[in-house]
Amino acid sequence: MDGVHDLGGKEGFGPIDVDEPETPFHYPWEGRVWAIVQSTGVADWTIDWWRHVRELIEPGDYLTRRYFDQWMQTQTAALIDSGVLTVEEVSTGVSQSAPEAGGPPMRPDEVLPAAASFAEDFSREIDAAPAFTVGDRVRARSMGAPGHCRLPQYARGRAGVIHAHHGAHVLPDASAQGEERAEHIYSVVFEADALWPEASGRRDRVFLDLWESYLERP
Amino acid sequence: MTSFESSRVAEIHRELHTHLPSEPALRVKALESLLVEKGLLDSRTVDAWVEAYTEEIGPKRGAHVVAKAWTDPAYKARLMADAPAAIDEFGYLGGATSHLKVVENTDTVHNLVVCTLCSCYPFSILGIAPNWYKTAAYRARAVRDPRGVLAEFGVEIGDEVEVRVWDSTAELRYLVLPQRPAGTEDRDETALAGLVTRNSMIGTQRDLSPKTGEAS
Repeated sequence: MDGVHDLGGKEGFGPIDVDEPETPFHYPWEGRVWAIVQSTGVADWTIDWWRHVRELIEPGDYLTRRYFDQWMQTQTAALIDSGVLTVEEVSTGVSQSAPEAGGPPMRPDEVLPAAASFAEDFSREIDAAPAFTVGDRVRARSMGAPGHCRLPQYARGRAGVIHAHHGAHVLPDASAQGEERAEHIYSVVFEADALWPEASGRRDRVFLDLWESYLERP
Repeated sequence: MTSFESSRVAEIHRELHTHLPSEPALRVKALESLLVEKGLLDSRTVDAWVEAYTEEIGPKRGAHVVAKAWTDPAYKARLMADAPAAIDEFGYLGGATSHLKVVENTDTVHNLVVCTLCSCYPFSILGIAPNWYKTAAYRARAVRDPRGVLAEFGVEIGDEVEVRVWDSTAELRYLVLPQRPAGTEDRDETALAGLVTRNSMIGTQRDLSPKTGEAS
C-alpha cells in the first residue's frame, strides 16, 4: 500500500533529536507496551501481517504518535481483528466474555528463553534458480502493490546493481495475507544520484534488500 | 480467526481512534488489565520483559562482539562470514538477528543503518532501538541526506569517504563494525568494549577515540 509509512526520502522533516536519553524506554508505559507485544498474540499472525496492521494506522496518528503508542495501537487492532478482544472491551477496559480457553499466559521465567528463541529463520529452499547474479544491472518495478509490500516508493523504477544474493526468503506480500511463498532475495545497490535529484556528484550509495518479483531487467 | 483484510483493520483503527483516550499511559493501563482479566497476560511477565531489555539485552552485547572482532582476527572472519553464528557463540542470537550482516567501516567507507518502512532493528544485540531511529524524520532523511543527518550527530564525513546507507527492507539486519580507534593497542577486550557506543553500531557515530583525559 502507498501509505505514509513509506517514509524514505520524504522531505520537510526537521532535525533529529540527538540528545534524547539513552534509556530503552522514555516512559514507563513504553516498556509495558513492548512487553505486552512480546507476550501476547495469535498463532496465525505473521511478522508481515503485524507490520501491515501498523501501516494501516490512520495517517495522522501514524505520523504523530510515539513509536510504542503505534505498537499499542497495532497490537490492539490485531487482537480485535482476530477476535481476542472487542472494541467495546478495549474502550471500557472491562472483559465481556469468559477468559479464552488455551494455554496459560507466558510466565516471568519464560521471558529470557523466549527472547532467545525469537530468532526466526525466514530463509527457505526453493526449486527455482535465481534470475539474477551479483553484478547484474536491474531496475526496481515501477508499480507498488495492494496490501503489504516492501519495495519503497523511492526505489521504484530506479536502476541499480545486484550487490549480493541471499538465497530465498519468505515473501512479505504473501506472508501479510497469511500465505507462505518464498522468492530469491538480493541486496541491490543504488547510486545516490539515481535516487535523488540533488545528489549529483555525491559518492554515496543506498542498499536495499529486494525480492526477485520486485526487480526486472533494465 | 485473523481476517488478513486491510479494510477491516483500517476500520478498527478508526474506531479505536474515536473511542479511546488520547493519553497513551491510560490506554496501556486499560489494555494490560483487560488482557490480565482474560487470562492472556501475567503482569509479572510484563515486568520481566522490561527488566530483560533494561538490564540484560542491550548494546553492551554488540559492544562485546565489536571488541572481540577488533582483538581476534579469526573471530572477525567468522563474524563477517556468518554473523548469526558468530554472535551465537556468546548466546546473543535472538529477536531479529537470524539474518544479521556486519558491515565494516574503513578509512574510505562509512556505513549507516535505517529502516524506512517501519523500524527494523537487531534487538538481540542492540536492545531497544533509540527513539530517534524510529522517528519519521530519521526514516525519511537517512537515505536521502545521510551526510546532513550525520552532521547533526556531530559526524563530519570527508568527500573522500563513501557513505553506504543500508535500508533494512527485509529480514536482514545490519550491524556496523566501527573502526578501532588509534592509540588503543594496549587495551584489552573489556576496555575496548567500553569505548563502543550504541550509535557507532548504527552508524551515527564514527570516531570512538577515548575522550581526552580518560584513563587507558
